[in-house]
Amino acid sequence: MTTFIDYVLGGLGSGAIIALMALALVLIWRSTRVVNFAQVGQAMFTTFIALSIQTWTGSWYIALIGALAAGAVLGVIVQYLVLRPVKRNDTSGAIIATFGVLIALQAAAGMIWPGGSQAFPQPFNNSGIEFAGRVWPISIYDFVVIGITALLVLGLTLLFTKTSLGLSMRAAAFNPEVAKLSGVRVSRVLTFGWALAGSVGAVAGILVAPVSTISPNSFDILLVYAFTVAVIGGLDSLIGAISIGVFTGLIISLVSGYSDSGNAPVVALLLLALNLILKPEGIFSHHKARSV
Amino acid sequence: MVNLLRLPGARFLSHLAIVFVIWAALMRINDGIDPLMSYYLALAAMYATAMFGMVILVGLSGQVSLGNGALMAIGGYVFALTSLNWQTVPILGWQWNPIWSMIFAGFGGIAVGLIIGWIGARLRGPYLAGLTLGIAVGIPAIATRFPEIFGGETGLMLTVPYPTGGYAPTVELAPIDEAPLDEVPLEQAPLEQAPLEQAPLDTETAGAGDMLTADNFPSAESSPAAGDMLTADNFPSAESAPSVSALPSDVALPTDIDPIAGGDALLAGGAFVLERWQASLAVTAACIIGFLALNLVRGRQGRVWRAVRDDEVAAAVSGISPAGSKISAFVVSSFFAAIAGAVFAQIISYVGPGAFGLGLSLSLLVGVVLGGRASLGGAIIGGVLLVALPQLVFNIAGDRGWPANVTDNAPNLVYGLLVVLVVLIAPGGILGSLKDGTRRLLAKSRSAK
Amino acid sequence: MLTITDLSVNYGAVQALSNVSIEVPKGEVTAVIGANGAGKSTLMRTLSGLVKPGSGSATVGDVTITGRKPEDIVRLGVSLVPEGRSTIPELTVEENLRLGGLWRDKAARNSTHAQVFDLFPVLAQRRKMRADTLSGGERQQLAIGRALMSDPRVLLLDEPSLGLAPLIVTQILELVSRLASESDLAVLLVEQNAVTALRVATTGVVLNLGKVVMVGSGAEIAADEQLRHAYLGY
Repeated sequence: MTTFIDYVLGGLGSGAIIALMALALVLIWRSTRVVNFAQVGQAMFTTFIALSIQTWTGSWYIALIGALAAGAVLGVIVQYLVLRPVKRNDTSGAIIATFGVLIALQAAAGMIWPGGSQAFPQPFNNSGIEFAGRVWPISIYDFVVIGITALLVLGLTLLFTKTSLGLSMRAAAFNPEVAKLSGVRVSRVLTFGWALAGSVGAVAGILVAPVSTISPNSFDILLVYAFTVAVIGGLDSLIGAISIGVFTGLIISLVSGYSDSGNAPVVALLLLALNLILKPEGIFSHHKARSV
Repeated sequence: MVNLLRLPGARFLSHLAIVFVIWAALMRINDGIDPLMSYYLALAAMYATAMFGMVILVGLSGQVSLGNGALMAIGGYVFALTSLNWQTVPILGWQWNPIWSMIFAGFGGIAVGLIIGWIGARLRGPYLAGLTLGIAVGIPAIATRFPEIFGGETGLMLTVPYPTGGYAPTVELAPIDEAPLDEVPLEQAPLEQAPLEQAPLDTETAGAGDMLTADNFPSAESSPAAGDMLTADNFPSAESAPSVSALPSDVALPTDIDPIAGGDALLAGGAFVLERWQASLAVTAACIIGFLALNLVRGRQGRVWRAVRDDEVAAAVSGISPAGSKISAFVVSSFFAAIAGAVFAQIISYVGPGAFGLGLSLSLLVGVVLGGRASLGGAIIGGVLLVALPQLVFNIAGDRGWPANVTDNAPNLVYGLLVVLVVLIAPGGILGSLKDGTRRLLAKSRSAK
Repeated sequence: MLTITDLSVNYGAVQALSNVSIEVPKGEVTAVIGANGAGKSTLMRTLSGLVKPGSGSATVGDVTITGRKPEDIVRLGVSLVPEGRSTIPELTVEENLRLGGLWRDKAARNSTHAQVFDLFPVLAQRRKMRADTLSGGERQQLAIGRALMSDPRVLLLDEPSLGLAPLIVTQILELVSRLASESDLAVLLVEQNAVTALRVATTGVVLNLGKVVMVGSGAEIAADEQLRHAYLGY
C-alpha cells in the first residue's frame, strides 16, 4: 500500500505537466479546429529562451515571465502560418503545416543553442520531503508544479466563465458566425487564444525542464502523451485535458513502478488505440469524431 | 487490385510502356554514374516507392498519415526475420530466396494496413493523425520491447544475398577501394546480435556511402536525447539514436562469402559494385510499385478515392462505401511502404527502431507535401528532394564554412520552412505549381494567338 | 430607416441578387417573400456583412453599412437573426443573451437584458439552462432576444417560421410586429411562408431569381392571384 501511495505521489508532478500541455492543445482545437502539433516545439523554444534569461539574470521568476511572453508571441506567429489552410478548409494542410513549424523550430533551436541536452537549473529543492519519519517521493518542486498548474486552471476557468473575453472566446470557438453577428471581433479573439495557448505550453515547458533536460527533441514524447490525453479527454474539453492528464501521469508512474518504465508509453498508446476504437470523441465531449 | 484487371487493355499497355521506359532509362543511368550517385539513386527510388503510397493515402484519399515510416518497419522486419530464420518456404519446402522475403514483407504490410485502416477509417483529421502518430512511435517501441526477436535497440544486421555473378559495371572501377576503413564501425556493433556470424571483420567500406547512413537521414532529428524525465525512461525509441550511429550500415557486405545464395558469387577484384546493385534493386521495386500505383490511381479505384475525399455523403449515395475506400487506401499504402521498407533494409543491411523512427515517417510526409501530394509524380520529386536537399544544403554550408551546429540543422530548417511555405502558397507542391504554371503559360500563348 | 439601393451580389458566375432596391421604414414590418433560391437569404447575409456585395449599397440613416464587417454592422444598429434558430447550444440561455451585447457598456447592456426578459418571460425562467435543452419555439425566442441585446434600430429576421408549429409562428410574428411599432424598430422579415408573413407585414416585397418583381401592401399581394400562382405557389 505504501508503495502504491509512493507511485501515485510520484506521478502527480508529471501528470500536472502533461495536463498543461494537453490544455494548450485543447485551447487551440476549441478555437481553430486544428491540433497544433508544433505546440511542444514552441514550448521547447521558449524554454531555451527562459534558460538563456535565467543564465543571464540569475532569476527563475524573470525567466518564467520571459517564457510566458515568448510563448504568446510564438503562438501568434504560428497562428498566422496555419490560418490560411484552415480558411481554405484544407484540414490535411493545416496539420502538415504545424509539423513543418515543429521541424523548423527544432532545427532552429539546434542552431541557436548548440551542444545537445542541457541541464536547466533547479529553481526549488527537488529532493523528497522528509515527513513522519520517512522520505516521501514528492518534493517542494513537485508542489510548485502542482500549485502553478492549479492556479492556471483556476485562472482559465474564471476567464472562461466569468469574463466577457472568456464568453467571446467560447462563442467564437463554438460558432464563429453567430459570434460575429453578435459583434464579437472573432479574429482578434482567436489570436488571443493562440497567444494564451502558447503561454500555457511555455509554462509546461519551463516546469518540465528542471526535472529532465532541455534539447531540441526532448519534448517529443510529451507531444505524444499530451495528444493522447487531449484525445481521450475529448479535444473540446478543458476538464477532460486536466483530469485525464493527471490520470495519465499516475498511470505512467504506476506502470513504471510496478513493471518497467519502458512499458509506460506502450500502455499510453494502448489506451489511445482503445479509446479511438470505443469512444473516439473522447470521454468528456459530446461531439462526434467518427465520420462514417 | 481487382480493378486492375478491369482496365482497358490499351491503357494498361501504355502504363506498362511508360514504366518500362523509365525503368530502362534509370538502369542505363545507373550503369554510367559513380557509386555514390548510385547510392543516392537507390535511396531516392526507395523513398519514392513509399511515397507512392503516401500520394494515394494523403493526396487521393485525404487521410494524413504520420505513421508510414513505421509501416516501412513492418516490411523491413518481416524481410529481415524471414531471410534470417527461414531456409525454405514453409509448407512448400522450396529453397529460400530473397524474393520470398519481399513477398512476405508485402503481405505483412497488407495485414497491418487492414488493421490500421479498419480503426482509422472511422476517424476524422486530427484523430487519425493522432492514431498514426501513435503507430509511428509505437511500432518501433514494440521492436525494442522484444529484443530476443527483434534485436532490441541494436536491431538486426542482415547479410543480404547478392545475385550470383554479381553486378557487372560497365564503367571504370569505382573509388570504393580508396577507403578501406577496416572494421571500424563493426567494433561498436555487438556481433552476437547479428544472427549471421559470418559477417567478416575485414570488410571494406562502401566508402562514399557514409554521408547518408541512417543517422544523418533527414529523419534523425526525431530521436530525443537521453536523460529526460519524459523521454529516456519512458520512451523506448528515445535511446535508439545512439544505436543508430553504431550500425554498420555503410559497411559493405561481405565480398567473399554469400551464405544464402551460396558460393563465391561475387566477382573478384571489386568488380561488384554494391551501390549499383542496390540502385538496380530499388529502381526495379519502385517501377513495379509505380506501375501498380499508376493503374490504381488512373483507374476506377482512383476515382473512388477522390470521390470519398471530396464528399463522403455524395460518394455513399452513389453506392461507394466510404469506409471501404479509406481502408483500401490504407492497405495499398501500407503494402507499398512495406515493400519500400524491405528495400531499405537491403540497402542499409540492417533493420532497427532508429532507422524506422518518427523521423522517417515525417520525412515521407515532408517529401510528398513538397513534391505534390495530388499525383504520383509528386512522390518521385519528393524522393529526389529528400536525398538531394540535405546534400545541397550541406554543400552550401560547407562552402561557407558554417559551424557544425548550423550545418547539421540547416536541412531540417529548410524542410520545415519549405513545408510551411508550400502549404501556405502552393498546396499542390512543386509538381502542382509546375502544372499550374504551364497551364497558365499555355493559356497565355493561346490567347496571344 | 434601412435603404437598400441597387444591390447586386454574385457567387462566381451566378448572380444571386440583381439591382434590388427596398425601403424598410421604422415602426413597421417589411416582408420579403419568394420561393426557394429567390435570393432571400443572400439579401440577409449581405445586409449583415457575411457576404460582400458586388455593387449597390445599403444605408441606415446616413451611414452606409454595405462593405463593412458583420461585427461593425451590429455596432451600427443592424442585427440579424440568422436562419435555423442559431443560438449557441453549448452556452446557457443567459450566456447566449449576454453575447448579443458584449460590446456595449455594462449599464446599457443590463437594461436591455431586463427588457428582453420582460419580452420573453420563458427565457428568464430558463436562464441557467443550456440552450440545447430548449424547445424550438423557445430557441427562436432566444435567437431574437440575442439579436435585440445589441439594441438595434433595424432587425433582420431570416425564416423565423422554419420548422416551428403554426401557432408558435403566429405568436412570434405578432410579438415582432408589436415590437416594431412599440419601439420604433425597422423589421425586415424574410419568409418562404408568404401567408403568415403578409399577415403581419405592412409592406410585402416579392423576390424571384434575385430580382424584385413586386412591391405592395400585404393585402395587394394577397389579392394578385396571378402573382401568387407564379411566384408564391399558393
